Amino acid sequence: MYIMKKILFIILSLALFASCERKIDKFNASANGLDFSNFVAVGNSMTAGYADGALCLSGQQNSIPNIMATQFKTVGGGEFRQPLIGTNDGVGFAQVPGGIYCYTKMVLKVNVDKDCYGTPTGTASLKPGFISNPDQATLLGQLFAPPSVTGPYNNMGVPGATLMTLFYPGYGSSMGNPYFTRFATSPTTTILHDAVVQQPTFFYLWIGNNDALASALAGTDMLLTPADTFAKYYPLAVGALMSSGKSPKGVIGTIPDVTSIPFFTTISKQLPWNGVPLTAAQAAQLNTVYALQGHSEIVWKEGLNPFVYRKENGTIAQMEAGDLFLLTLPTDSIKCRGMGIVDTTKHPLPYIYPIPGKYVLDKAELANIKGRIIEYNAVIRNTAKTANLALSDMNQYLPQFESGMVFDGVQMSTSFVTGGMFSTDGVHLCPRGNAVAANFFIKAINDKYNCSIPQVNITNYKGLVFP
Amino acid sequence: MRRITVLLLFLCLAATTSFGGGYQVSLHGIRNIGMGLIGTSLSYDASTLFNNPGGAAFVNDKWSFSGGVSLIFARGTFQAKDENYQATLKHELNTPFYFYAAYKPTTHLSVGIAVNAPYGNRLAWQDDAGTDWQGRYLIKDLSFKALTYQPTVSYRFNDFIGIGAGFVFATGTVDLNRSIPLQGANGDGTMHVKGSTSNFGYNAGVMIHPDKGWSIGIDYRSKIEMKVKGADATFEVPQSLSTSFPNNKVDVMLPLPANLDLGASYEFGKNKQWMIGMNLCYVFWGTYDSLVFDFQTKTALVGRTATPSLYEDRLIERVGAQYRVNKMFTVRAGGYYDPSPVKTNYLNPQTPSLDEIGLTCGFSVYPTKGLSIDVSFLYLMGAKRSGTYSPDNFAGTYRTGFSIPGIGLSYSF
Repeated sequence: MYIMKKILFIILSLALFASCERKIDKFNASANGLDFSNFVAVGNSMTAGYADGALCLSGQQNSIPNIMATQFKTVGGGEFRQPLIGTNDGVGFAQVPGGIYCYTKMVLKVNVDKDCYGTPTGTASLKPGFISNPDQATLLGQLFAPPSVTGPYNNMGVPGATLMTLFYPGYGSSMGNPYFTRFATSPTTTILHDAVVQQPTFFYLWIGNNDALASALAGTDMLLTPADTFAKYYPLAVGALMSSGKSPKGVIGTIPDVTSIPFFTTISKQLPWNGVPLTAAQAAQLNTVYALQGHSEIVWKEGLNPFVYRKENGTIAQMEAGDLFLLTLPTDSIKCRGMGIVDTTKHPLPYIYPIPGKYVLDKAELANIKGRIIEYNAVIRNTAKTANLALSDMNQYLPQFESGMVFDGVQMSTSFVTGGMFSTDGVHLCPRGNAVAANFFIKAINDKYNCSIPQVNITNYKGLVFP
Repeated sequence: MRRITVLLLFLCLAATTSFGGGYQVSLHGIRNIGMGLIGTSLSYDASTLFNNPGGAAFVNDKWSFSGGVSLIFARGTFQAKDENYQATLKHELNTPFYFYAAYKPTTHLSVGIAVNAPYGNRLAWQDDAGTDWQGRYLIKDLSFKALTYQPTVSYRFNDFIGIGAGFVFATGTVDLNRSIPLQGANGDGTMHVKGSTSNFGYNAGVMIHPDKGWSIGIDYRSKIEMKVKGADATFEVPQSLSTSFPNNKVDVMLPLPANLDLGASYEFGKNKQWMIGMNLCYVFWGTYDSLVFDFQTKTALVGRTATPSLYEDRLIERVGAQYRVNKMFTVRAGGYYDPSPVKTNYLNPQTPSLDEIGLTCGFSVYPTKGLSIDVSFLYLMGAKRSGTYSPDNFAGTYRTGFSIPGIGLSYSF
């Protein structure tokens, strides 16, 4: 018996000895001399944490620079203040004659499918819809209420900002952009000024998307910032940040192509540009209608026909391969009212019904915008080189997601809703998408400055939330 | 009372497993474990039924029984690549056991049965915050166990050669949890799969004693295809997606690889007090190229998935020695090298398989004639390996360490 006890004792001791935790050295974070104590981010909606069609609290908390700042904390990063809005339902707005019209953020909702007569078809689909419908006064109150955190704000991202508006005095006035007005230090200041006076020790600048995108979002190419203007002002913005006092280092980002964004690609995948099948008799009938209304230039034929849309110059034309429908296209009107062909609700004579130009980005506009983005990005890449800054080439990264990328077992793509990367507005990223983008910026910083900032665990951030 | 305390302590310390190469478990005899897991050329006790049926008829006793259990105490850590993130294996006990019984109706013939657990894997990951870990979309927890029942016949033609074969009936159970990256208000979706199956195989071997003191054995254990037909698959997903994830039956396929073992040993010294031996075990891991889930009710989001594993065949090298101190006491020691069958770009948290060097020791005490109490201890060095499971882009460094005490009884008369 004594021997048995001895044996057991020996086994137990060995087990205790050998089963002690198997440690691996933790990630060895290092700033390699960089100073992250005052990190200031300048940019637009992508930087502000705008998502789901509105600025909301949870979106700001998951903004790209806020995620980065969390990682910077392991290498001496300081507090990262954001101009937090006091609502989780968010506030978005559209310019309307005489002011603005506000709404909340969107969430995915189960939508009972109906046919053109309003009868449920027995199927359901997921569609983005406003999370709630408070009155305008409430939303305006939330929009203009002072942020819950006092300034100065490390996150100077302003939804809607372009490179040019960084320099606009009055952009934060009552006549300016409400998203800046709500936290500008004065009505006459500029975004850049409010950033520069903070004397950042490290900065982030991701600007220029709206110089091209604002045009694209409106289905036109008329609002593009001229390339030479961009080439003049981009280095000025970078220079202002670099000469702000603490000789900061920084990271800047290039502009993704519009065709990488679900807002421009989703509908065209479902609805072909030539999605009007006609018999010879129907084609003849349409030709009569169009001729009677003075548009004999439109010729309908037997077989598949292109939709008709109204161009920027007011003329109408048939769509061509490569023209894109925007996510905002009212597909019900296409399906039930004859949009793009003739208005079937008009009697006795059907009326020609071109798709309004704001829902179509045609080939020529697209080529113009793509060309401009190439020119902007050349300026950005060149500035990174001359100013010796880290460059996160988002323009190169995003196309990789068109066919899908996987991180930690999570498939992500630029597909709308199913891609798990973009939010319900099809333009801005969801939190998990922001985490992936933050990792691209962190990688760029690590590569450039030879430091080791830990990347973020993307599985900690939410994708799209399904009902 | 002291003994109960000690046993309880064992249970508290208890940890997880999946060790060595892949999901093969080679703890099939406490005496063998003590000698670096060698056994193909040995015919000391009833464990020969499993290690090499060709040797069973060389066991001298009319009846022989052998049984035992190993307690796997494991530790494991995962460090994510480029991230400030670690996760650890949850502490769970795994206790592979064996039981062998052999009877010799004549001096040349032996019949017997071997029951043991040659394959298995059990683990659960948790991160340091105790929340859902980073690799949860690959695996949260997994329990896979195969038991084999092997009725065996062995015949010894003469003192030179014996042959034997066993029919293997294998039962398997699988139980796993994984998260699905589709989120609702309550977080991630989940999938739970649970099922069991059985199948057949065989084990055949030859043993020869070419010269005084020498023994050579060769043994082949066939592959067994474990196809779990109609395991229960339950999903928890956001309401709006529930029609795409109907609770379901799923067929899961996992092969138990074949083994070809070659062993040689030599007894020498006064009364053959000494024995040294070696084994070469070729494991046909190449058969495991993917883990297949085939759902019976298919939807746009649920169908047939084959998760690539692309294992490669591997050779395990083992050496061991035994010394009989006296009638009452025998000591053993050994070691082995078990290379991982997993390629670096397929290293997966489901089976974090590392190249292992195992060191073993053990002893037997003979309180009365015919009875022995066998004790073994296997220590696997704390291996470390970095890799990426490329199909899921899941990268990091794994480190595991195991200490496996075992205890058994052998009785023969």
